[in-house]
Amino acid sequence: MPREVLSPEEPVVGKHERTDVERLVADRPSLRDWTDLRLGWWGFVRKNLDEPMPAGVGWWQTLGNLLMTLLAFQFVTGLALAMFYSPGTESAYLSVKHINEGHPVGLFVRGLHVWGSTLIVCITVAHVLRVFFWGSYKKPRELTWLVGVLIFNVILGFSFTGYLLPWDQKAYWATTVGTRIAATLPLIGHPLMVLIRGGEEVGALTLTRFYAIHIMVLPAALVAFTGLHLYLVRRHHIAGPVVAQKGPPVKFYPNQLFKDAIVVLLGVGILAWMSLGMPPSLEAIADPTGTDFAPRPEWYFLGMYELLKIMPAGWEIIATAVVPGLVTVGMILVPWLDRAKSRHPAYRQWIMVSGMAVILMIGVMTLKGILETPPPHGHHASATTSSAPPTIARE
Amino acid sequence: MCDHNCEKCRENEAEDPKKRKFLAWSVGAINLAVLAGIFTPVAGFIGSPLKKKEQDDWIDVMGEHELGEGETKEVRFKAKVLDGYQTVTREYVVFIKKYPDRVIAFDPACTHLGCRIQYKGDQKKYLCPCHGGVFDEDGKVISGPPPKPLVTHAVKVENGRILVDRRAGSAA
Repeated sequence: MPREVLSPEEPVVGKHERTDVERLVADRPSLRDWTDLRLGWWGFVRKNLDEPMPAGVGWWQTLGNLLMTLLAFQFVTGLALAMFYSPGTESAYLSVKHINEGHPVGLFVRGLHVWGSTLIVCITVAHVLRVFFWGSYKKPRELTWLVGVLIFNVILGFSFTGYLLPWDQKAYWATTVGTRIAATLPLIGHPLMVLIRGGEEVGALTLTRFYAIHIMVLPAALVAFTGLHLYLVRRHHIAGPVVAQKGPPVKFYPNQLFKDAIVVLLGVGILAWMSLGMPPSLEAIADPTGTDFAPRPEWYFLGMYELLKIMPAGWEIIATAVVPGLVTVGMILVPWLDRAKSRHPAYRQWIMVSGMAVILMIGVMTLKGILETPPPHGHHASATTSSAPPTIARE
Repeated sequence: MCDHNCEKCRENEAEDPKKRKFLAWSVGAINLAVLAGIFTPVAGFIGSPLKKKEQDDWIDVMGEHELGEGETKEVRFKAKVLDGYQTVTREYVVFIKKYPDRVIAFDPACTHLGCRIQYKGDQKKYLCPCHGGVFDEDGKVISGPPPKPLVTHAVKVENGRILVDRRAGSAA
């Protein structure tokens, strides 16, 4: 017998002649009925578990769930790290060193957080590409796509702000260059850089700013956007394969959820394996005067880094703002740029070609950056006129 | 005739479009005032580094006789600076070149995106390790993406000593 869903609007009492069992439930409700009458929780859960999946939905649609899981894990590992981390120029490096060396699982937890961020970027890209090639952003799902693009940018923001926190050489120099990019904008460039850094140079206030953004602003934005994204996914349902397949819709639970669980298991397994096998490094403490360190951003920003190399003098704004800006705006506008009625890639040729050109460009530039390690003139700095430069202490 | 005190009259009054509009605008205005009351000081506080101007800070870095004419030397010096909430001793680097009539101190930040340049004495060039910028020993761009010559620090020579202003760009 199907279980009756209780709701405050339609109380069971008085609707019809009650059976003895119903009377017992009403007079002495179980904890589940008692809470359900007040929260409507089981109805909500049931509705989501019974969500109809069009025939043909399968493994490709598991990426969203994996992303959610990995993002939730970032909150958990981030919370643990925040309990040991101290965002000061004197203490940040020491506290991360302590996380790495002071406790047997500290390094593993940091590894989960660091590799988790890399994995999230990879899965997000795969998720975006799946939606792009399937044309799932078409009416009425334009806003679902738009909010997804915002989430993607929030994730990149997490990566950029988190990179500085260990306050090692890599962190300091990548942020020095990264924040300087803002200064290439006309008119507002320099004030914007000072605002981001909290001063003219990368220092104590840059660290506290980035930390505040990393643990407060971006998580709040992520929760809000993800909530909206999920609401929209449920409101408009899964788009299904490009060519409708025969067969009735299947409920989300248990078939699709099982596939999701397998992919989550695999993803988290890979994450744990990476964290154990490749513990995150910590380089020498940030040294603003060091001339023996060639700054390199995180690998997924290497495409932009390489683009900067080929821009002629005075045109760096093309690489710092115009190209990234056009890609972002282009991504946001995809549902409106693609006017084809069909979702089939064969009928969406120009958007497919444009999309693949952008993907190829980013891919080639990123690969170029990865292969050129270390970059030219990367090491050995010294003033040839003096092998041991004098250091003047001024008190 | 209504005595203006009956229930229906009070209902009508509550539903009066003019009154509803007035109340709606009032709610909007109150919300704006409340938000402005909170966000104005917060934005002012966050943006306060924009208003901060650093004072000149002269540091005696070397004797004038230690540098031959046409020679470039990398000099490191330490200075106590206010870094946000703390006073720290920070180390700085400048490349000092002596000309017949003056001394120039080049800042080591590449004018492209701020990477630390390296001086190659044998080539008399500055190289940037990041994006391949090259400057000559006078700080002018030879090749690569840097849009401007190297930034300089103000320099003065007093009693045979070279003094450098800690602030990059102070010579401009």
